[in-house]
Amino acid sequence: MTPGLNHYLVVSGLLFSLGLLGVLGRRNLLIIYMGLELMLNAGNLALVSFSRFNGNLNGQVMVFFTITVAAAEVAVGLALIVALYRKRQTAHVEDLTTLKF
Amino acid sequence: MELAVGLLGLAVLLADLWIAPASRRILGWGAAAVLTCVLVFGLGSLAPQSGMGFSGLYVVDPLARFFKAFFLLSGVVVLLMTVEYADQLAVGLSEFFALTLFAVTGMLFAASANDLTMMFVSLELITVTFYVLNSFQRGKLASIEAGVKYLILGALASAFMVFGIALIFGSANTTQFSELALRQRELSGSRIFLTGLTLVLVGLGFKIAAFPFHGWAPDVYQGSPAPATALLAIGSKAAGFVLLLRLLFGAVPEITAEWHRLLGALAVLSLLYGSLCAIPQRSVKRLMGYSSIANAGYLLLGVAVVSPAGSVAVLYYLGAYCFAVLAVFTVLCVMMNSSDTDDMADFAGLGMRSPVLAGVMTLALASLAGVPPLAGFIGKFLILRAVIAAGATHPGYYGLAAVAVIGAVISLYYYFGIVRMMYWGGEPLERLAISVTPGAGIALLLCVAGIVYLGIAPNGLLQLSADAVAGIQPAAASAFKPTGH
Repeated sequence: MTPGLNHYLVVSGLLFSLGLLGVLGRRNLLIIYMGLELMLNAGNLALVSFSRFNGNLNGQVMVFFTITVAAAEVAVGLALIVALYRKRQTAHVEDLTTLKF
Repeated sequence: MELAVGLLGLAVLLADLWIAPASRRILGWGAAAVLTCVLVFGLGSLAPQSGMGFSGLYVVDPLARFFKAFFLLSGVVVLLMTVEYADQLAVGLSEFFALTLFAVTGMLFAASANDLTMMFVSLELITVTFYVLNSFQRGKLASIEAGVKYLILGALASAFMVFGIALIFGSANTTQFSELALRQRELSGSRIFLTGLTLVLVGLGFKIAAFPFHGWAPDVYQGSPAPATALLAIGSKAAGFVLLLRLLFGAVPEITAEWHRLLGALAVLSLLYGSLCAIPQRSVKRLMGYSSIANAGYLLLGVAVVSPAGSVAVLYYLGAYCFAVLAVFTVLCVMMNSSDTDDMADFAGLGMRSPVLAGVMTLALASLAGVPPLAGFIGKFLILRAVIAAGATHPGYYGLAAVAVIGAVISLYYYFGIVRMMYWGGEPLERLAISVTPGAGIALLLCVAGIVYLGIAPNGLLQLSADAVAGIQPAAASAFKPTGH
């Protein structure tokens, strides 16, 4: 059996949910960040598979944009997390308590 | 135009190499001057043409022009504000100018986006720039924390948006707004398409800080440097709204009409949540964060009535909101130069220390609260009128109008808490008079002129807003005439 569009979409949906679970459930900023990347890549997988099965290349172009943007986001994001770590010696979300009511 | 602003940003970065650190404020002045030129000449040369570019990715119409003028103007004021705030930003003043310009470039692109790809890329240009701007005061934990919070939630919103775009692309086989509009009837039955649309709206809801996606706003507003907060409050929110208007009314008006209940509910919830949470706040920036959620509620109310009158009201309200918020943050920048906190106690006795600043702040807050002769009043009035007019078809809208009025009363209370502090808050902590530099002076003058002018003579902006909306909602535009015509 060759995998069809639905198979790819199911995998992509699972990846997306897995990433979302990671973001909501984990407490370490780096792991949360990995979850976010997983979600973005789930979107990419869906785009590519739709693009392949609909015979429309626009989706693959969009994926290039997403990858570029995600790379920029990771560069800035990791720098920020490192800056936070230097200041607080922690990368856990529970410790982000400077700003509150 | 976008290219000009982007290149200006790069030029600022380059010029930084030859200018001594002590005199880098000149760069801010220069950038503001060039941005003003772009506003005057660029917009003038753009005026006659209207059309699409880059195979339909990019559109120039009255709506795009309206928002381009809006973003350039707020860019100019924010740059002047940054010059004022320069002492608080320990290092990298010119980078701050450059990043502000890049964010404005992203907003200009967003104003013209006619495709989901373009929408995503321009929004990301804004968001990624703001990650840096928000955490710019690296020495302050609050600033870094604001940056990290914005980073996590912003990235989450973009992930939702990418997945939503993927689903829309999969079901419609196109990402262009105008092609989506042609096929919306067959698509409105597709569950994949509707899910995708919802996910994209989640991403936009994050940008405008509407109710279920508002969590970041108070923290980030409080922790970020004041000029960054101002740009976030105005530029980022307006960029979200221009895309929301284009997507909801330009691409899928029929689905939007079916979703008016959902939009109305979100509007009411943001309005009440923002207003109620703002009451006990002591930090002015945090208060502005909650007030920004409440204002997103008003603006969404204008979207939820699904009529051209509502959209015109949204544009007008944004104009009024922009001037008032810029004025508040400029005053804050001047104040924080001497004290470095934005606690309400610092405002005690400001009426005695600096009558001018206190007067401007009072005017701006009164406009935000919607006191009659000012711009904010006309904005709130237009929104309410649109909501009540829609009540004729769906009685539920009368309820929305009632909540909007309640929200306005609550906002009167918390905005005037600051005013009370300034005039009757007891003795000031310091007696020193606060000096206003020319840059902040120009910014304040511009804002005050805007607030008063839009309040007294609303017809000019109303006409512009009506023209802008006619571009995306042509069918019903003839039914609407601005007041006095």
